[in-house]
Amino acid sequence: MILSIILAAIAGVLVGLSRQINGRLSLSTSPLIASFWNHIVGFVVLTVLGLALGGLMPAGAWDAPGYAYLGGVLGVIFVASGSWLIARIGAVNTALLVIGGQMVSGVVLDLLRDSSPSFWASALGVALILGGVALTQKR
Amino acid sequence: MTDVKVPSVNPLHLLAAFGSGGLLTLMVDFNGVLAFHGNALFSSWAAHGIGMVAALVFLAVLFRFRAKGGGEVVRAPLWAYLGGVSGAATVMLTSTTVNSPLALSGTLALGLAGQMVFSLAADRWGLFGLPVRLSRPRDFAALALVLAGSLLIIMFRDGAT
Repeated sequence: MILSIILAAIAGVLVGLSRQINGRLSLSTSPLIASFWNHIVGFVVLTVLGLALGGLMPAGAWDAPGYAYLGGVLGVIFVASGSWLIARIGAVNTALLVIGGQMVSGVVLDLLRDSSPSFWASALGVALILGGVALTQKR
Repeated sequence: MTDVKVPSVNPLHLLAAFGSGGLLTLMVDFNGVLAFHGNALFSSWAAHGIGMVAALVFLAVLFRFRAKGGGEVVRAPLWAYLGGVSGAATVMLTSTTVNSPLALSGTLALGLAGQMVFSLAADRWGLFGLPVRLSRPRDFAALALVLAGSLLIIMFRDGAT
């Protein structure tokens, strides 16, 4: 359990780390070029890993609906926008606003699917997030 | 800790960041569908491969619109090309911890904590060649509110399903 806790926290650090490194690359190139390098390097690493460990092409993988493959396209835009933002508003603000957007859109998606777990908890959570976002705006 | 000269966030930047958070929600959802049909490694591998191709297409399309920017550009250090290693490692760690007693909610919550601690250090010391940004007390209040709201959503989401 302790190991899992450490690994999960390290995963969060790695998210920030990759945004910081990609942000630095985009200063010398462009956010889209930084996103391209992020994806090609990640692809090579995962290919080597998959060939070593197996499971790169599991049975049934190609039965997934076509739209699911669009996740990669969204990822390019996501990484490019993160690299663009971090150079302008800093690591803390970028992380804060992206997390806020992710949480609020997640709640909206749940509502659209009619699977909202707890309306009041979600509504209170969204209110707190929007309050925090408003604070970053106040002069 | 206190520097009143730090500018507020531009509303355009705010919208962009909030929008990219929305993209992240969809991306996690789509990649989750791929992982359901295959596995976590395949999902991340396919997303990176498709992303690589998509980035090339975007660059080719946008190339025509790019103005010739003069002036000297400082070359990026070699390590700046390795952000993707960190991204690939993230996938391995989270797909491990999601299947531990932490489950999805614990993984998300601890991930937020790790991300915030790193971001504070990154801004404080200008890690990896980005500018130093000192935080105002108000930024810490914003941080506390966003994290509290996120944890509330994460915990209740996992508990009910």
